[in-house]
Amino acid sequence: MSDAYFEEEEFSTQFNGKTIIRILGLTRPYALWIIGFLIAILFTSVLDAYFTFLNKRMVDEGIVVGNRQALVSIASQYGLLILAQAVSVFSFIYLAGVLGERIRYDLRKRMFNHLQDLSISYFNRTPVGWIMSRVTSDSERVADLVTWGLLDVTWAAMNILTASYFMLLINWRLAVIVLFIVPVLIVIAVQFRKRILVEFRLSRKFNSKITGALNENITGVRVIKALGREDTNLAEFQQLTSEMYRHSYRAAWLSALFLPTVQMISAAALGVIVWYGGLQATYGSMSIGGIQAFISYVTFMMWPIQDLARVYAELQHAIASAERMFSLIDAVPDIQDRPAAFDPGTLRGEIEFDHVYFSYDDKLPVLEDFSLKIKPGESIALVGPTGGGKTTIINLLCRFFEPTQGVIRIAGQDYTNYSQHAIQSRIGIVLQTPHLFSGSVRENIRYGRLDASDEEIEAAAAIAGAHEFIIRLSNGYDEPVGEGGNLLSTGQKQLISLARAVLAHPEIFIMDEATSSVDTLTEALIQKGMEALMKDRTSIIIAHRLSTIRRANRILVIDKGRIAEMGSHAELLHQRGHYYRLYTQQFRQQLEEAYDVFQSLSIKAGST
Amino acid sequence: MNAVQDNFDIKATLAGSRLVGLWRLMHGFRLPYFGAVTSLGAAAVSKTGTYLLLRVLADRLLPALQGNPSANPVMALLPWIAAGFVFLAVFEGGFTYISGRLAAYTAEGIARRLRNYLFDHIQRLPFSYLDKMQTGELIQRSTSDVDAMRRFFADQAIGVGRILLLFIVNFTAILNLDTTLGLASVIVIPVIVLVSIFFFRRVTKAYESYQEQDAVLSTTLQENLAGVRVVKAFARQDFERNKFEKDNHRKFVLGRRLLLMHSTFWPLSDIICGAQMLGGFVLAAIFAIDGRITVGTYLAYHGLVVWLIWPMRNLGRLIVQASTGLVSYGRVMEIVRQDREPLEEGKLQASLHLRGEIAFENVGFHYDQGAEVLEDITFTCQPGQSVALLGSTGSGKTSLVNLLPRFYEYSTGKILLDGVELNQYSRKFLRSQIGIVEQEPFLFSRSLRENITYGVGRAVSQQEIEQAAKVAAIHDIILSFPDGYDTLIGEKGVTLSGGQKQRVAIARTLLKDPRILILDDATSSVDTETEAAIRQALKQLMVGRTSFIIAHRIQSVMHADLILVLDQGRIVEQGTHDELLARGKIYPQIHDLQTRIESELEQEIASAERRISSTEQAK
Repeated sequence: MSDAYFEEEEFSTQFNGKTIIRILGLTRPYALWIIGFLIAILFTSVLDAYFTFLNKRMVDEGIVVGNRQALVSIASQYGLLILAQAVSVFSFIYLAGVLGERIRYDLRKRMFNHLQDLSISYFNRTPVGWIMSRVTSDSERVADLVTWGLLDVTWAAMNILTASYFMLLINWRLAVIVLFIVPVLIVIAVQFRKRILVEFRLSRKFNSKITGALNENITGVRVIKALGREDTNLAEFQQLTSEMYRHSYRAAWLSALFLPTVQMISAAALGVIVWYGGLQATYGSMSIGGIQAFISYVTFMMWPIQDLARVYAELQHAIASAERMFSLIDAVPDIQDRPAAFDPGTLRGEIEFDHVYFSYDDKLPVLEDFSLKIKPGESIALVGPTGGGKTTIINLLCRFFEPTQGVIRIAGQDYTNYSQHAIQSRIGIVLQTPHLFSGSVRENIRYGRLDASDEEIEAAAAIAGAHEFIIRLSNGYDEPVGEGGNLLSTGQKQLISLARAVLAHPEIFIMDEATSSVDTLTEALIQKGMEALMKDRTSIIIAHRLSTIRRANRILVIDKGRIAEMGSHAELLHQRGHYYRLYTQQFRQQLEEAYDVFQSLSIKAGST
Repeated sequence: MNAVQDNFDIKATLAGSRLVGLWRLMHGFRLPYFGAVTSLGAAAVSKTGTYLLLRVLADRLLPALQGNPSANPVMALLPWIAAGFVFLAVFEGGFTYISGRLAAYTAEGIARRLRNYLFDHIQRLPFSYLDKMQTGELIQRSTSDVDAMRRFFADQAIGVGRILLLFIVNFTAILNLDTTLGLASVIVIPVIVLVSIFFFRRVTKAYESYQEQDAVLSTTLQENLAGVRVVKAFARQDFERNKFEKDNHRKFVLGRRLLLMHSTFWPLSDIICGAQMLGGFVLAAIFAIDGRITVGTYLAYHGLVVWLIWPMRNLGRLIVQASTGLVSYGRVMEIVRQDREPLEEGKLQASLHLRGEIAFENVGFHYDQGAEVLEDITFTCQPGQSVALLGSTGSGKTSLVNLLPRFYEYSTGKILLDGVELNQYSRKFLRSQIGIVEQEPFLFSRSLRENITYGVGRAVSQQEIEQAAKVAAIHDIILSFPDGYDTLIGEKGVTLSGGQKQRVAIARTLLKDPRILILDDATSSVDTETEAAIRQALKQLMVGRTSFIIAHRIQSVMHADLILVLDQGRIVEQGTHDELLARGKIYPQIHDLQTRIESELEQEIASAERRISSTEQAK
């Protein structure tokens, strides 16, 4: 919702020539398509004006003089041209429409592919909704501009030109007088269109606020009822709907006023035609059919003018869309492979943080002079308060970020010598809030290794302790997990993400343990899965569970970007420091959960 | 122009037939809408008038053109005819505008009234309905479906009316010019209407699948962005590219199919309409040559027939779209049909001072048609006492406290508050006397100040707010934010931890100053660092109020005046901590477990110490 504001407010105030050229550049591969639809629309447009001229001839050369022969020949010409125009209408709708779809497709593809190369830092500072608007709506607006926009402008311009030509041909004096109103109409139309667009966008903005208010009111309905705030909420909501009403009503009546205004101005021209044309007619320099043709041309003129105005008003917004879109396409990944980056074949070996400094925004240091050596096969537990720097250590090790100072070495080499792919494909990671993709359970596990067979997937699930719950699902491994995995419980999602990591056979295992509690059985399964993953490989775990902490070879208490305490479980307890306090507090809490007093209560009460 | 802020009850518009319902829904807007339709008619007549004037012009002018000297009077008439054209155009334009404005006034007004009504209606529906409905579904009906109804009034109904009026006026005019000509001009109209209905039905379906694919594509994109760490951690960029490519290409293919349909329909209908028109022209021209009609009549016919035929292509589109508007109407009215919670109903209202004595007598409860959730609940508590509820998930703890603010109504037995049965009190009054603090309270995306004063229902000074925040141990944290009390919560502001949210809710409840307090799992915070602060804040809050504490830790309940041990909807034991320890069965077991935890902790530390000393000795 907030992204809607992002979009509404950020647009450049001037036409940017470079952007326009770049937008046109998008169509280069399809030059033939463009030429094709332009020819088709030119033909259509000329015919539109020519039909009126044919009507004039039908009157003057056929009816008025009573010539059946001429009538039949003009009518058959007319009929043939209707067929010809149908062909050109087919061509321009198909060519421009399909090309529009094609360019949308190209732009989406280009942006999506580029997004895959961008670094995590980009996603940290850019809201998901903002990116989505670029890929979905901006790409459409730009594609529409180079297809339908171009088409409408061409049709309109050509229509005005052809109509002018025929009017000049019929009676040039009258034509000159009539054509005076064209620029006036264009100016008025543009003003109208711009205002309508502004109101329309404001109304859309309030519409998204209204959706937000509804969403909050429904999700928070328990609080609202408990606090009895219904009346105030309604009053606040009515302000929003009244604002939306104001803008959409204004947009609607401006639109309703627009065409009649143009029509009335053309009516002045119409009056001139009748009066002056009638005079000319009596002198013989104007025919009945001629007057009729003039009336048709002038009445019809408002359509091309309104098209021109619409495209012009939308142009500014389309250019702003393009600018935002190009800013995404031009974004450079913060982390790039060095020119000589290579894949060492394995990451087995010592991991070393050597005087590492890091900060996300160059202001607040997150890690300061951090040094650590991890032996191959060792398991490390990171504990400590939120914001102390635990996640940052993991982010650096995965090379989602690189140190601002100092070096991280894996297997003896500065890890920036390796390619990102070499590092990331050998690290298995399980996140605190497990992320699954829409699709089946099987597909989600296979994400760990794409060429894995079904047997391997089930074996991995068994190791991770996920197999049992999966086969109890009604479709087993083919059960859909829903958008973002929301059809499964948190514990189930964790088990699947563990299975996914098992399947990947990582050389280094990283896990950010979930803080939220899951039921005892699932908890035990998760522990089992973790154990399987930690076996024989270097593992680094942000630990919250006592069993995990105790199992680690080494425990690091991270606080304020430094190692506050380090050692084995027993050593740290002995020190009676940070760790001691943290541990005893968590011990009580977790044992209470682990014993699950009420589960036993329920069983006993049921049996008595 | 500020439309009516009325209290029109939309529920009263419900009718067996959708059309009757829509008609009733227009209450207060019927006159403007009638005006819109009438203006359309006037505009159509003016347009037709223009062509009839052209007829006069041509018929008067023609003799002059053919060198008839008696044509001189025409010269005098010309300015009048010219003025007639201008006048008719102004007339037509004016009425078109009035019609558009009135239709917009009606449609936007009805839509706003409906939006407001739905918002209010939903927040006043009982939980028994809200529990069943998905949030997204309710939102969609209140936004897109309402918008579909707005379009029904603004575009579709009026559009159909416009086409029909144009047809009636112009057809009448042409029939008056020449009956044969008139009948010959409408031959293809049934064909074109049927073809366009057929086409737009198909195209609407194709468009729906195009939109569905768009949603699929958005989901793929959204999941990719939300899961960017997973994608990178498994180095699955190429896999993601292929997945997106597949969805993206499918959307392209569907779009192409849609365009193929459009690029077939429009030229085809051009040919049908064009043929009809040309046929009419030729026939009329022959009539004119034969002298059956005048040249002026030909010209008038020529102008009128255009407005008879071409608009018909759009009739199919409007009819198909209007039918989606009717579907939306049904979906919206399904919500409207539900009964609200009568908030004010009940003999006992405000200005009553509650002491807070509560007695449950054989209370039973079940959700509609469900199994019993609570059975035979009986206990009493004195004003200011605290009642703790212990039990596993699903034992009925939350259902029990939900009965107090009358979120749900008990099915059997009695609940007495200060000796009066609970359903004698209005819901509004009860809720004003009960404060609820949950483990992870819902906060609104507003400033911290607004969240603290939310629902307090009276003007609160800054001093009072700060006082409450201090007692709730959240004041210092609020001051540490850049905008202090004006800091926004949520997407556009700060994210609070569970414990911080809870303390904001405690501050809010302090300001509300209720007689009865419900602490729903509020004592077992996930935020270990701030647990002490929260416990202290809750203690302050409970002073002098009858409190219900839902918990699953003995420490949180042992000081309660009455402990209820719940299992499967029944109270299995009740009493104070000491009483239950002395004569209870289950409570002592729970307590044992708790003490075992402490001793295990001691053992654990002792064994660690032993290990240390043994390794030291080994050295």
